[in-house]
Amino acid sequence: MPGRQAHGRSLLPASGAKKERKPSSRSRANKALDAFALAEKEVPTRRAKGVRMRDLDEEPAERTQKRQHDDDDEDDEDEEDVEEGPRKKKARKDDEDEFDGFFGGPDEEDWHVGVGSGDEDSEIDSDEAFGESDEEKFEGYGFRSGKLKKSKADEEDDDEDLESLGSDAIDLATALDQWSEGDDDMEEEDASGSEEEEEEASSDDSSDSDDDEEDPAKVKSLQKIISGFAGDSDEEEEDSGPKQKAKVSLEDLGLAGVKDRHIKKSLKLMNKEEKATKSGSSKKLAVPLARRHQDKLDRAAAYEKTTETLDRWIDTVKQNRRADHLMFPLAQNAHDAGLDNGELLPVTAKTAGTELEKTILAIMEESGLGPSAKARQIREENAAAEGQEGPTMAEQIEAARLRRKERELHSREAARAKRIKKIKSKAYRRIHRKEALREEQANHEALAAAGELDSDEEREAQDRRRALERVGTRHRESKWAKLGKKAGRAVWDDDFRAGLNEMAQRKDELKRRIEGRTQSSGDEDEDMSDDSGDSDGDDGDRRRLLGQLDSAAAYDEDEPQSGLMAMKFMRRGEALRKKENDELVDQIRRELDSDAESEEPEESDLGRRQFGMGQAAPKVNPFLPKSAKGQDGRTSISAVKSDGEPKTLPLPQREPSPAAPGAAGAWSRAGQDGRKSKKAPKGRVDELDLSNAAMLATKKPSKPANSKTAVNSSTDVDVQDESDDEDAIHLPMAIRDQELIKRAFAGEDVVGEFEKEKAEIEQEDDEKEIDNTLPGWGGWVGEGVSSRELKRHKGRFVNKVDGVKQKDRKDFKLKGVIISEKTIKKNNKYLAPQLPHPFESHQQYERSLRLPIGPEWGTKETFQTATKPRVIVKQGIIAPMSKPMV
Amino acid sequence: METTEKVDAPLSLPGLEQPNGALTIRGPRAEFKSKAEIEKARRLRQAQKAYGRGRGVDVKSVRDKKLRRNLTTIENKYKAAALKAKEAEILLENTGGFLEPETELERTYKVRQDDIEEGVAIETVQKRFELKLESLGPYTCDYSRTGRDLLLAGRKGHVATMDWREGKLGCELQLGETIREARWLHNNQYFAVAQKKYVYIYDANGVELHCLRKHVEVSHMEFLPYHFLLATLGINGQLKYQDTSTGQLVAELPTKLGTPVSLTQNRYNAILHVGHQNGTVSLWSPNSSEPLVKLLAHRGPVRSLAVDREGRYMVSAGQDNKMAIWDIRMFKEVNSYFTRAPASSVAISDTGLTAVGWNTQTTIWKGLFDKEKPVQEKVESPYMVWGGEGKRIERVQWCPFEDVIGLGHTEGFSSIIVPGAGEANYDVLEVNPLETKKQRQEGEVKALLNKLQPEMIALDPNFVGKLDLRSDEQKRAEKDLDAPAADIAEEIRNRARGKNGVLKKYLRKAKKKNIIDEKRLKVEEMLKSQEEKRDEKLKQKQAELGPTLSRFARKA
Repeated sequence: MPGRQAHGRSLLPASGAKKERKPSSRSRANKALDAFALAEKEVPTRRAKGVRMRDLDEEPAERTQKRQHDDDDEDDEDEEDVEEGPRKKKARKDDEDEFDGFFGGPDEEDWHVGVGSGDEDSEIDSDEAFGESDEEKFEGYGFRSGKLKKSKADEEDDDEDLESLGSDAIDLATALDQWSEGDDDMEEEDASGSEEEEEEASSDDSSDSDDDEEDPAKVKSLQKIISGFAGDSDEEEEDSGPKQKAKVSLEDLGLAGVKDRHIKKSLKLMNKEEKATKSGSSKKLAVPLARRHQDKLDRAAAYEKTTETLDRWIDTVKQNRRADHLMFPLAQNAHDAGLDNGELLPVTAKTAGTELEKTILAIMEESGLGPSAKARQIREENAAAEGQEGPTMAEQIEAARLRRKERELHSREAARAKRIKKIKSKAYRRIHRKEALREEQANHEALAAAGELDSDEEREAQDRRRALERVGTRHRESKWAKLGKKAGRAVWDDDFRAGLNEMAQRKDELKRRIEGRTQSSGDEDEDMSDDSGDSDGDDGDRRRLLGQLDSAAAYDEDEPQSGLMAMKFMRRGEALRKKENDELVDQIRRELDSDAESEEPEESDLGRRQFGMGQAAPKVNPFLPKSAKGQDGRTSISAVKSDGEPKTLPLPQREPSPAAPGAAGAWSRAGQDGRKSKKAPKGRVDELDLSNAAMLATKKPSKPANSKTAVNSSTDVDVQDESDDEDAIHLPMAIRDQELIKRAFAGEDVVGEFEKEKAEIEQEDDEKEIDNTLPGWGGWVGEGVSSRELKRHKGRFVNKVDGVKQKDRKDFKLKGVIISEKTIKKNNKYLAPQLPHPFESHQQYERSLRLPIGPEWGTKETFQTATKPRVIVKQGIIAPMSKPMV
Repeated sequence: METTEKVDAPLSLPGLEQPNGALTIRGPRAEFKSKAEIEKARRLRQAQKAYGRGRGVDVKSVRDKKLRRNLTTIENKYKAAALKAKEAEILLENTGGFLEPETELERTYKVRQDDIEEGVAIETVQKRFELKLESLGPYTCDYSRTGRDLLLAGRKGHVATMDWREGKLGCELQLGETIREARWLHNNQYFAVAQKKYVYIYDANGVELHCLRKHVEVSHMEFLPYHFLLATLGINGQLKYQDTSTGQLVAELPTKLGTPVSLTQNRYNAILHVGHQNGTVSLWSPNSSEPLVKLLAHRGPVRSLAVDREGRYMVSAGQDNKMAIWDIRMFKEVNSYFTRAPASSVAISDTGLTAVGWNTQTTIWKGLFDKEKPVQEKVESPYMVWGGEGKRIERVQWCPFEDVIGLGHTEGFSSIIVPGAGEANYDVLEVNPLETKKQRQEGEVKALLNKLQPEMIALDPNFVGKLDLRSDEQKRAEKDLDAPAADIAEEIRNRARGKNGVLKKYLRKAKKKNIIDEKRLKVEEMLKSQEEKRDEKLKQKQAELGPTLSRFARKA
């Protein structure tokens, strides 16, 4: 790629000016270059080319790659420096060359769209654009880069750079790289070349030697030649041959004072190009592009760049266009953008952002409630705490853990112990009470036997006791009860209701006493959880207690062992506690047993004696579980019911309604009359027409007999299952009714009529062919016309009327249903005549209308999002988007 | 060798238990899903089932990119709406409950009203009351839409309205005529009474507002609240729809099946169900002169009909001692039961309890139908029973939003408590049982603004806005042949009678309206050309007559 060419050395022969300008760098460079020279002697460079040459030969691929990076971000270049280890210095070199050399400096890295400033890309593009053909065309011209429009200052800068940079500086750097990686401090000095070093280098480099050799004689002659052409166009100057041009400078040409901008510029270009090219190659300057071409290229590049920039916004714009709602000012520009407001933080002096927050904070501070006050308080507390040496956090946690453990340990056995104690206390109390009673009775009997107790006073005392017992109890006939009943207090007065309850209980108890059963739950602490609350006598109590004991004894066996419980000491402790509990249980058991034994003989607490049929109730085994007893009783009752009485239903029996069938018949006949049907009225069928009935009744297959029907039939009340055939046995009435009904409606063949009507309608709606042929139209009629002729004319004008085929009817498979197939014209008003534009099928269109917007059809949130305006502008400064959102 | 045999053994049917106790699973879950994801999917499924808007369209098959995106957003919106609705269920704070037996042997129908009274709050207890009106019965009753007001009408001319909870009488009338039916209109301010000959409309104070002379000998009435239509069914079988907001008679349809026996409305689609003497039930809309559907439900007259709130099931009771449950979306009979006597009245509550009044008793059934179940099961015993005290039931009517049923009978009116009958969580945007006067007035205005047109009544109320799927030919064939001629010239020419110029007359009238349309432009053009012609003729005549006599030329 013959792009820019340079001869690897400054055009300026003497570097006096340079020395004046940059003495420091020069001196520093000297050392480095010395080192380099030495190095070069030892390790001959594989090649010594200028940056440009190197680029030209080998690097294009790399460069293009790099360019892509550049496109993305200018900063990438810096990053590259860091990343690429071995290439590091070279890259740096390139960077410097490109930026420092061509532009003002790193600050100029920003590109500017639309402004034709020295765009890196444009330059590159022009490089590329300057292809083979162009080269031929503009052979004699130097290459004019995109820095045409640079400011004067920039130009000067460039000059300086150019001059300060020796032609081989870069090569040296590379060489240095190759030679010694570790020489970092030399880098800086390497960057700026020097004359001496140049000379040294050239001595090695054969190709360079021609250019670098400064033959004063030659120069003189050149100067002479050139001075002849002084002020002429630069073409000739460049044309003057590759061999001489290297040593020519403005001063040489005696044109130091040239004011012409164009000349100056071209000269500068020449400088640059020469520097870049390999010394051995042609010294021709590339011809600058025509302005028109250049502009075109610039525009293309600028356009590309602009599109690229704008492309970054495409996603954002798309998103905003598609967004359901847009809110301005943008959240992006909000002062708390990007902050997570999911959590509330306390407002401190630092975080107080808004004015309001600040004000509030100030007020809080003033009143001693602010964060600083709190901090102070905490500090004080801490100080106090330190003085007291309170428990630390860790200790507290530890303590809590321990406590929890203890609680867990205790809980199970403790619960068990509690339960056993409860049982024990009940048993104890009861037993002790019994014992006391027994003792008293024994005393009493002893006294009676002794004849001491007989007196009126004794009886009176007993009466008094009984009376005392009843004091305060409420009676049904009491004033209180009567008044309450009258006022209906039971409905609203809780006290009254409670009183009634109590009364009922009392009544029950007394009744039981009369019957001879002892009151079971005399004790006030009767446990409510006790499921067998009502009394079964003492035996029941004992049995219950035993059962409870059993459960209490058994309940810990199936408990799962936790990790803690598996520990040895824990188990030991638990075993101990368990043992205690077990002992307790055994003890109670023993006591109960002894109690039962002692009580067995005198089990009779007879109460008031009953005569007559009082003894009818069979004595049931008291040790039978209660539920079983209840069930037995109930089943027996129901059995009696179902066996003995013909039918006892909880609801009053329906009155036999002979009027119903008769009335129905009358109605149906009236209905038929009213309809004035064309069919001849059928005679009433007196007897049950079985075939008719079969057609009429929508009979279902009878269910298999199930065992529970015996109970069901007695409980089932008024409406019976049609298909329950078993019911026939128990409910002859119902069956008779059904028969009656069948008979009553047998005369009306409603099903047959309905089917007929349906068939008619089906036929009417079906597609039809109407023969519109007129006899004599298009042919002869009358006598003498052959039948063949007639037949031929028969189906000539047939109109086919579309309809609904029987198969396609909606009621095709439905028995006893006629669904009209006619379209309802009035409804068509509310149909969409055609599919609206974007939709592809009517399903899509109808789906899009499926959810109504109104508040009645969804939640408030749904409604509000559905009706929210697309663009919402809130008060405040609406700044444009600062960067793409996506 | 043994091991290989063991390996062979498990090749058994999936789902069967393996010898080692392992179960083979059909269709194992292949991909891993986190618990949260599964939960989310489950919630979405539930929401779709309860509040979903039907099956979505296949978005992926849409070719147009933009449409695809739009449809996707719509689908997402629907999904979100369903989810939101499901989430909002948390706001339904009231729970309904029924009587529940504690043991197998306990029966809820054995629970008497007194037992319930003991167990419920005083407020509820007060809802049970009895009105003894022995001389003017039997009574029909109707609750207003809010469930606050009660309208009682005795056959012998006694009409009364009352706020039944407060026991305040609204108005009381003795009309001195047979009353067959009485209904509230859209709110508690108006009610219609079908009297001996005509239907009358009264206001809340009992002032007669209208006499509808077109509705003759009406035996049944229904009011469609969203359409403001009063539907009456006469003894002669004429079904008439009267718009109560505009006063127009919308439709007059002969049912042609003799004297009708029962009438009810489907609250889902405003279709009227009419029960006939021959056991058929016909479904009517004001838009078609034929019944939309006709079904054979009974062998005798259909005594009473009721449709559930969601319009899925219909219960019909016939003279043939049968009670049939119909699925009225499929038009299939679901179940049938026997009643001990022909039922006089059937009603379905908001929660699906069915009350059947027969003879002197009322039986309340629970679970006759359940939309969640694929197959409806046959109920063995009723939920509650009432009556048997010699009061022949005339009308059963559930009170909206209350666990109360009103029973009109020969000896007056009874209000009894039925636990679980009312909707626990009502929608006040729809009907507000606690509304104030102001709210009632506003609601009336809103209802009028949202009034649906009678043409919108159809079996499927969602048809509005759907695409007309008829072919073009069909449409053309069905076009009204009496439609005005398209050609204006033709039309004008046809209208040409009288002395005056037709066009001029037309224009004169059109100018009054000040509407410039195509027709008018065309007429103007025609007039102009006519005048030009006339002028030409005139000139010709003048030319014929010559310059002196030209003045005698007549304008033709």
